[in-house]
Amino acid sequence: MTLLFKSKAKAYRKLLTLLATSLIIITQTSCKATKESDRIIVASKGKIESLDPAQANKLLAIQLISALGDPLYRINESGLLEPRLAKDYPQISKDGLTISIALREDVLFHDGTPFNADAMAFSIKRFMEIGTLNYVIGEKITKIETPGPFLIRLRLNKPSSSIKGLLSSINLTPVSPKAYLEHQDKFLNKKFIGTGPYQLDSFTPERQRLIPFPRYWDKAPKNLGIDYVSYTTSTSLFSAIKTGQVDVLLSNSVEDGHRLALHKLSKKGKLIEGIGPAMQIGYIAFRSNSAPLDNKILRSALSYSLDRNLISRKVGYGLREPLRSIVPPILKTSKTSPWPKYNPQIARDLFKKAGLCDSNKVTIPLTFRSNVPADKLLALTWQEQLGRDFSDCITVKLNGVESTTVYKQLAEGAYEAVILGWTGEYPDPEAYLSPLLDCTKSQGSTCLEGEAVYGGTFWASNQIKTSLEQSENLQGSQRLEKLSEIEFLAADGAAILPVWLVKPRAWAQPNFSRPKFDGNGRLLLDRLQKAINE
Amino acid sequence: MNRATALLKYSATRLALAPIMLWLISSMVFLLLRVAPGDPVDAVLGNRADALAREVMRAKLGLDQPLFNQYLNFLNGLIHGDLGESLNTQEPVSQIIVKALPASLELGLTAIIVALVIGFGVGFTGIARPEGKTDLAGRLYGIGTYALPPFWAAMLIQLFFAANLGWFPVGGRFPVTYLPPEGTGFLIIDSLLSGNFLALKDALMHLFLPAGTLGFLLSGIFSRSLRVNLEKTLKAGHIEAARCRGIKERKILLFHALPNSLLPVLTITGLTVASLIGGALLIEITFSWPGIALRLQEAISQRDYPIVQGIIVVISMLVVFIGVFVDLLIALIDPRVSY
Repeated sequence: MTLLFKSKAKAYRKLLTLLATSLIIITQTSCKATKESDRIIVASKGKIESLDPAQANKLLAIQLISALGDPLYRINESGLLEPRLAKDYPQISKDGLTISIALREDVLFHDGTPFNADAMAFSIKRFMEIGTLNYVIGEKITKIETPGPFLIRLRLNKPSSSIKGLLSSINLTPVSPKAYLEHQDKFLNKKFIGTGPYQLDSFTPERQRLIPFPRYWDKAPKNLGIDYVSYTTSTSLFSAIKTGQVDVLLSNSVEDGHRLALHKLSKKGKLIEGIGPAMQIGYIAFRSNSAPLDNKILRSALSYSLDRNLISRKVGYGLREPLRSIVPPILKTSKTSPWPKYNPQIARDLFKKAGLCDSNKVTIPLTFRSNVPADKLLALTWQEQLGRDFSDCITVKLNGVESTTVYKQLAEGAYEAVILGWTGEYPDPEAYLSPLLDCTKSQGSTCLEGEAVYGGTFWASNQIKTSLEQSENLQGSQRLEKLSEIEFLAADGAAILPVWLVKPRAWAQPNFSRPKFDGNGRLLLDRLQKAINE
Repeated sequence: MNRATALLKYSATRLALAPIMLWLISSMVFLLLRVAPGDPVDAVLGNRADALAREVMRAKLGLDQPLFNQYLNFLNGLIHGDLGESLNTQEPVSQIIVKALPASLELGLTAIIVALVIGFGVGFTGIARPEGKTDLAGRLYGIGTYALPPFWAAMLIQLFFAANLGWFPVGGRFPVTYLPPEGTGFLIIDSLLSGNFLALKDALMHLFLPAGTLGFLLSGIFSRSLRVNLEKTLKAGHIEAARCRGIKERKILLFHALPNSLLPVLTITGLTVASLIGGALLIEITFSWPGIALRLQEAISQRDYPIVQGIIVVISMLVVFIGVFVDLLIALIDPRVSY
């Protein structure tokens, strides 16, 4: 028996050689050869379940809809409001309660029907009826009128200077009334009939195929189409761009280690990196309505205790900028940063003032979203840093919870301190300040109802409420000053601790032009092109 | 009672127990989802929607009804083959499963074939020279592949063969630049049916790494099982008798020992097939393979109750029926099994 295969050794070796040769032949004619060179493959993480602007509340879907549709206005690369489907800037009545918008007359939907005031009104009404974020505009717009075929009029329940930013929201992208007639009160997830530079050719949650719309009113896309694909892991995305299996990679959900590696590859000229304006902030919310963090001095001490530069280096490898404001700099509420810098001496003094240190030490549970790697690293790093600097005053106990559960339990007051992220629904400071600070019903400094409850801080300030209302009646620099004042009040309350700012990045193969972003941080898919065509 | 009648009775009992098992599993899933933290309304609206919007959505999703009514509706739908609609996309759950299941079956069955070929090869060549170097290597292989964490192995394989060497696609089931052939949902079969050999090559190229990884990880169980059973069988009396009759060692191994050693392997194969249908999650995630396990994971994170319930019911059905089928098969071919 032991000699059973002895004489077969040579045959086995031959077989193995044959198998290896076949494998090499097969693999060398792999799928790369079948790639069409005219179309551009853009990869990102996560599936797109719905392309209905009324349903879209995830960054990926919003990114794609921005290529398939046009909003009334958009924030351009310089951060300024730019009319798109609107012919001009909005005309606001003296009492601030009526906004009139003249619309372009040369726009067609992808199904060939003309865009007009009725179509715009249909889309806004549809969003107000079924939109998942309808409360964003439902609180402001009371009536929509169409006094002319290309003139739309919005009646507001109170003056709102933030409405201009709101009108650039991708959720208000108009859709063809003809195509959406049967979907007036329900979502149309896998189709999109808008006015954008691309039309949707095919849709699966993992892959969307976009082709240029030949009758587009503005400049035609600089490429022959986009294949927008999703991968499930950061490693897959990294490997896909590195091996050339995709042309462009979006940084959404790419882990920091891979982000750094791609950044380094771009420094070496092996990839082209495009950076957009930072719209996403990372912050820590402190529950202010119960011990121990109901003590404002303790919260202030924590504000001084966070070494953002260390966090930026250790967690974001320098690619996440330290942030001492809750409004991204591009929205310019103030030139100075309202939250204090890391200052261990002041922090220690405040800890002592709160009755801590020496023989008294407090333990604070810090919750992080377990499915967000950067949050976990932030939690670990801050825990270590506090241990290094204030081991006699404070201990942080870590608690990882999956994000869906975190969001569900925030309003229930389940977390003393929790790491969160926020991206405004439209490019305006109000889209950051209201959702993080607004409170409709309060008792003292405790919020009973409102955004501060949903955000888990339960912190209220009557002054902030008044200032937010006042800001809606102001314009220009006066408004920005008022918003800046709100930020300083929030920093003083110390229920929120901003940590970092995340800039959207995209990496393209070296034979491409540099990826460009608009002022909302969305990649301009229609500007992507091979460098040789420039 | 003769053997045929007894077998029939045994089969009927096993099949009759299957629906009860399914009812228990689906009820447990229903209850577990309801007690798990997280709200499906949050998944649809986000956590900042106002109370009215949440109430409307809750009523629309039927979540405002008492739990018992929800349970009765769920069971009623299940009996009538209606698995409900996705909370997020309003797509029928049955359609979602029909789209995802072929991908998982294609991956799982290919992996089983790979595992059987490697496992049998390693186990069989090992026992040909017991305690020799090949045998030692085979045993180490069996233990090693069994002990490897799947996500780690999958990631390393992906990084080496896809990212570094670039021999295979990083992930997905088909090239992104064109559409796969339509038909059964099994891309290999659809490519063959349409005579599109380029598509077949692409489908195989995409399948190679995930199925190969899964097959490689599973092959250790088969090689270990086959080797252990062969070793036991080769010491049995009827093998000694065959040797005494002067039958060649090769014939003894192939025709006398191997068939008797295959029964336990058959059981393991059945159980592996059953568990693979929903259990290849880490492989599906790593290779972005759009199968049912990946769909289940997404649905759990979105708290999309109907999809989670539907997928678990379907997986349970397959597991139960494959289990019954394997039991019956063993009862049929193994005279030692009593029932």
